[in-house]
Amino acid sequence: MKIKIGILLAVLLGSVLVVLAFGQYEMQVVENYYFPNPQRPPAVFEHDRHNETAELWDCMICHHVYDEQGVQSDWESSEDQACADCHGLEDQGGMPGLRKAFHQSCKGCHLTERKGPVTCAECHVKP
Amino acid sequence: MHALYEWVAGPLTWVAFAVFVIGLVFRLVQVLVMVRKTEPFIFTYMSWKFSLRSIGRWLVPFATLRWRTSPVMTVATFAFHLCLLVTPVFVLSHIVLWDEAWGVQWWALPDAVADVMTVVVIAGCLFFAGRRIVRREVRFLTDASDYFLLALTAAPFVTGFLAYHQVTQGAGMTIAHMISGQVLLAAIPFTRLRHMLLGWLTRAYMGSEFGGVRRARDY
Ligand code: HEC
Ligand code: HEC
Ligand code: HEC
Ligand code: HEC
Ligand code: HEM
Repeated sequence: MKIKIGILLAVLLGSVLVVLAFGQYEMQVVENYYFPNPQRPPAVFEHDRHNETAELWDCMICHHVYDEQGVQSDWESSEDQACADCHGLEDQGGMPGLRKAFHQSCKGCHLTERKGPVTCAECHVKP
Repeated sequence: MHALYEWVAGPLTWVAFAVFVIGLVFRLVQVLVMVRKTEPFIFTYMSWKFSLRSIGRWLVPFATLRWRTSPVMTVATFAFHLCLLVTPVFVLSHIVLWDEAWGVQWWALPDAVADVMTVVVIAGCLFFAGRRIVRREVRFLTDASDYFLLALTAAPFVTGFLAYHQVTQGAGMTIAHMISGQVLLAAIPFTRLRHMLLGWLTRAYMGSEFGGVRRARDY
């Protein structure tokens, strides 16, 4: 009995370590928990790989900061914040609501670059 | 693919809506001018009261004799038309796109509900087609154009359903959906689907003639 529990605990501990080591923060999707009642699967987005293949070295393309006049800072970035820290669910003047902010940012670039997904199903991929 | 998507989601959508709206207005004017020319006396007894009484009655399931004599058809017709009209206006995907194009948005159906309503429309089209095949008295009145109109109506719902469920890879199904929706919208004024506007006039005319002239009810 004791042995069995011992094995069980060892397996559990092992799995936790494996998850920690390999799951180590490779962002796979844009989380949707800021939305009260999400309707779609979270959008696929392998942060680091995406930005490498798309050659986006400048973090502030997405993680931007604006001053009071609505002018984007060309030296400050906001990767220490979630988009939802600034963007509410509804539009607020020049600041699009959260859903629109994501769509404008992601889809907008894919359309101008003529590369990357643009239809709902291509981003909100069913698991 | 991106150029095609932009084209279909942008200019082509505007063309489709313009043809739909201008086409229906044109049809309305055409009918009024025709009545004025051939049977102008109809205008003398058109009545708001009897028009609305008739329309109101026919909008309620089983409120008219005709609805009561064919209950299965009545249920099918009401479910079908309700879902047909409500789903495209309140489906989340469309609202997301309106919001991004115009900055307007309104209440959306939960995706799961819209999905069921989509299936109701598709099932309705199959039911109406089946009825045309099975019932002899209906088959007698049926020609190819009836099936064509059913297919035209079902197409955006079938492709929308397949796109939502991601049955195929890539943007193809969504683009096919958009095109089928645009073809349907643009076709409405030029096919019998224009009853979505003119049907109300027919009802108003029947209501007024029965109510005001024959002193009877048309339901
Ligand atoms: C380029 C990628 C992309 C495309 C294309 C895209 N989305 Fe999104 N969408 C996102 C991201 C990123 C979010 C943020 C949260 C998340 O991951 O779901 C989001 C959020 C949402 C949300 C709010 C969260 C939820 O699940 O309720 C909805 C609704 C939504 N999208 C619907 C759509 C619809 C409908 C379409 C097609 C008309 C679409 N999206 C196309 C990337 C995309
Ligand atoms: C293509 C747009 C884009 C670019 C470019 C980008 N990011 Fe992000 N990043 C995101 C999105 C979207 C999120 C998720 C934000 C949220 O959930 O609100 C994110 C999240 C993060 C997070 C949060 C922690 C995590 O992984 O969950 C960090 C840290 C981060 N990014 C760092 C960077 C850095 C550093 C750069 C520049 C080298 C960068 N990002 C470039 C889009 C981008
Ligand atoms: C520090 C606060 C802040 C954070 C964090 C932030 N934004 Fe914004 N964002 C703003 C403000 C303020 C505006 C409005 C600027 C204006 O008035 O024109 C804005 C505007 C936008 C716009 C519309 C203008 C444009 O640049 O195209 C998009 C899209 C957008 N944000 C997406 C995002 C996304 C995606 C993220 C997360 C990766 C994010 N934002 C994070 C503050 C923020
Ligand atoms: C500034 C431009 C830009 C922005 C912003 C951007 N993307 Fe992309 N994305 C690209 C390009 C370019 C590609 C094509 C990369 C390639 O295959 O060459 C791409 C490809 C993709 C792909 C295809 C697979 C992959 O990862 O390469 C996905 C999924 C994707 N983007 C999701 C997103 C999401 C979600 C967002 C918003 C959070 C986003 N992108 C924002 C430029 C951008
Ligand atoms: C005219 C331009 C149109 C555009 C741009 C458009 C766009 C879209 C998009 C992008 C989706 C989402 C698919 C997904 O979730 O992956 C969708 C879904 C849908 N569309 Fe359209 N559409 C159009 C016309 C129509 C019309 C005319 C109808 C019906 C009369 C229609 C009925 C539907 C339905 C029912 C769904 C949801 C299917 C489901 O959730 O099962 N659409 N549409």
